[in-house]
Amino acid sequence: MKKENSSGRSVRSIAGNKIFQLVALFVVLVIIFTVWSALKGGQFFKITTLRNILTSLVVSSFLTIGAGCLMISGNIDLSQAAVGAFGSMVLASAVNAWHLPWFVALIIALLLCAAFGAFNALLVTKYRFPAFIGTLAMASIAKGLMYLFSSIGKGGQASNVAFSNKVLSFIGLGYVGPIPFSIIIMAVFFIAYGILMSKTRFGMKVTFIGGNPEAARLAGINSKAITYILFINCSILGGVAGIFNACRLGQGALTALTTNQFTGLTAAVLGGISFGGGVGGMAGAFIGLLILNTFQIGMNVVGVNPFWVNVFSGVILLVALALDFIAKYAPARRIARKSGEGRI
Amino acid sequence: METAKSLEFRGIGKSFPGVRALDNVSFKAEGGKVLALLGENGAGKSTLLKIMSGDQRADEGEILLNGVPVVFNDPQSAIAAGISVIYQERQLIPSMSVMENLFAGALPKTKSGLLDKRKLYKDAKELIEKFGLAIDPREQVGRLNVAYQQMVEIMKACHRDSDIIAFDEPTAPLTDSEIRILFDLIRKLKADGKAVIYVSHRMAEIFQVTDEIVVLKDGRFVTALKTAETNEAELIKAMVGRDIGDTYANLSRNTKFGEVVLEVRNLKTQFIHDVSFQVRKGEIVGLAGLVGAGRTEVARALFGADQVTGGEIVLEGKPVVFKTPREAIDKGIALCPEDRKEQGLVMGRSIKDNVAMPVVNELCRGIFIIKEEMAKLAEKSVAKYSIKTPTIEKLAVELSGGNQQKVILGRWTSEKMETKVLILDEPTKGIDVGTKAEIYQTVCDLAKQGIAVIFISSELTEVINLSDRIIVMHNGHITGVVSREEATEEKVLTLAMLE
Repeated sequence: MKKENSSGRSVRSIAGNKIFQLVALFVVLVIIFTVWSALKGGQFFKITTLRNILTSLVVSSFLTIGAGCLMISGNIDLSQAAVGAFGSMVLASAVNAWHLPWFVALIIALLLCAAFGAFNALLVTKYRFPAFIGTLAMASIAKGLMYLFSSIGKGGQASNVAFSNKVLSFIGLGYVGPIPFSIIIMAVFFIAYGILMSKTRFGMKVTFIGGNPEAARLAGINSKAITYILFINCSILGGVAGIFNACRLGQGALTALTTNQFTGLTAAVLGGISFGGGVGGMAGAFIGLLILNTFQIGMNVVGVNPFWVNVFSGVILLVALALDFIAKYAPARRIARKSGEGRI
Repeated sequence: METAKSLEFRGIGKSFPGVRALDNVSFKAEGGKVLALLGENGAGKSTLLKIMSGDQRADEGEILLNGVPVVFNDPQSAIAAGISVIYQERQLIPSMSVMENLFAGALPKTKSGLLDKRKLYKDAKELIEKFGLAIDPREQVGRLNVAYQQMVEIMKACHRDSDIIAFDEPTAPLTDSEIRILFDLIRKLKADGKAVIYVSHRMAEIFQVTDEIVVLKDGRFVTALKTAETNEAELIKAMVGRDIGDTYANLSRNTKFGEVVLEVRNLKTQFIHDVSFQVRKGEIVGLAGLVGAGRTEVARALFGADQVTGGEIVLEGKPVVFKTPREAIDKGIALCPEDRKEQGLVMGRSIKDNVAMPVVNELCRGIFIIKEEMAKLAEKSVAKYSIKTPTIEKLAVELSGGNQQKVILGRWTSEKMETKVLILDEPTKGIDVGTKAEIYQTVCDLAKQGIAVIFISSELTEVINLSDRIIVMHNGHITGVVSREEATEEKVLTLAMLE
């Protein structure tokens, strides 16, 4: 805990430090992989690596933004990736089986994802389900519905649903000049959400709710409405991730986003968004994501067995969580004991 | 051990930041007797219990168990030494059976290492029969009524062979017949030679069941009396007798009251019944009563934080219904909640953010926050209430209790707010004497500005001397209203303890 006499400036510099630490970690990671791949006679800094990292970022970035905003408010959504996969299958079926125009298909997919978010919020606000449990159940429901959608018009057989549409494949694979279209959209989203969370009254209220929901409520902040918005936003962004995934592959895949199940969550925690809420922002989330992806692709480049990559990703999440818990709960416990309010 | 059982406190002292909770407290609880620990809220009873249960450590003094000095680092070591404290909140596992709860921590095993259910049942049944209770050992604890849950806890303490058993307000959740069962049990414990410490502020019970009474006040030992040789009046006098310093005499008070701002008619919630009162402009109305009397619940009902089930709130002549705090705030009602840390402040955010919380929308251009305006608002609050801080960026968690309270006051009285009724719930809890005086003067100043103040406090002296009128509550009902001129601590306490 900081001492009574530490000034506001030092507090701010610590907050700044978090981003600084993350950037430093990223740089260290890049150096490690550069040296490592050089030792193995390869090359880390290649255009393909860079492009791989960036394009792999796209899908997970939408997950991270959605999950991050929700986590800043102190909530969590375990169904995000499943809902996104569901959304991608809705899109594929709508184009392939129902022959709907691409924009109608997109809107239907996103609306259905939004419905999932609204239902998650309903469970958490009205029926006071722990978000962990409610959204886990919703994940299973979304997954089941995805299989149902994939079997439309196939006599009940579930399989990948391929589609071909010029606009959709441009969304997934197109370029604007030298830059992939998807990267541009990703950048726009990160900047827009960054501004939303740090400069607007909405972002401020989200942080208040995450910091102390009861105090926020008693200070007149409508936490229910904001919780709804954040859950719906999280699911819609899951859907956006699913759509980019489908557009890139040209099909709604049954295994879509399965490897990304907790990417959004991991990146957010890595990037300094606290599990308990109230702390963190989009800049950190972006660097957290960058670190996570660089790590995974770096391991790939140097030829580490992909099974191990999974193991190490888990370890990274553990470490990030441990740091978060130490930062968040240890001082709180100390304060409670000091003021004599800790009851057994 | 065949020597007489006893627990002696010698010169116990304990401080929390800004508060001296216990100061040189000495007394002895002896086996075969029931000792009552009596005192107002904040007298130090709970702290003393926490020290004897090993939950907290005393800063000074020593505890002698059966004549031998002991030090407890944690609750386990206190239990092992034979001390059990039975708190109001049950420490049982509701989803498990009575027998499992009774023997949790020492469950019998069969030779193969499995749980020996048969022995467990037999032992539990024996224990329950010894107490002459009609409880099935296999019953799930969560399905027992409150009184029987408490019995289970008491049996657990006895089975652990505790010599010293303390009860913290045990009768609060019990009905009359359940209380009778409890008292029989306490008499049984006494007959077994155990030392029983009984914390309560219910006078009638103390005369029914205790042998000796120790009175604490402001963390100090006041007197020890034999129950048979004293009476209610003497006890109340011992509980409240203290010097009222010049603090209150020197306050510059408001003397001009305006029209009625807030009128409450037969207000009902889950916790309060038929509460009616009026508050005028510039008036400070105190809400007094013991913990759990329903004062906080009145505040929460007025503020739209608890659901109102009946009655009417009339604000400036117009009936109002608040479904959320936001609606109450928009109509000019503000609440400084009881628990600053849990309900008042976002501890991890700055003074600036905490002051701006209810008025964020007014500090915006479009959806974007105007940082300068936010800062200006906070600077003004810091200056107005002389909040001790180098900058408005300092986090709430880094401030002292008094300064935290001032931040909340600043929030509700900033120029962006139009507060007409300010409800202060325990605003001086855990705050040092100097800052308390500052807060009293601030409250008087706010009254001078025409704000109607509802002042809730468990400290009798404070509520009596600050308020123009004192409403006394007990069990969710108003039991009396007294003006400052006629208010004495005895009078208010008597109303607060009215059965």
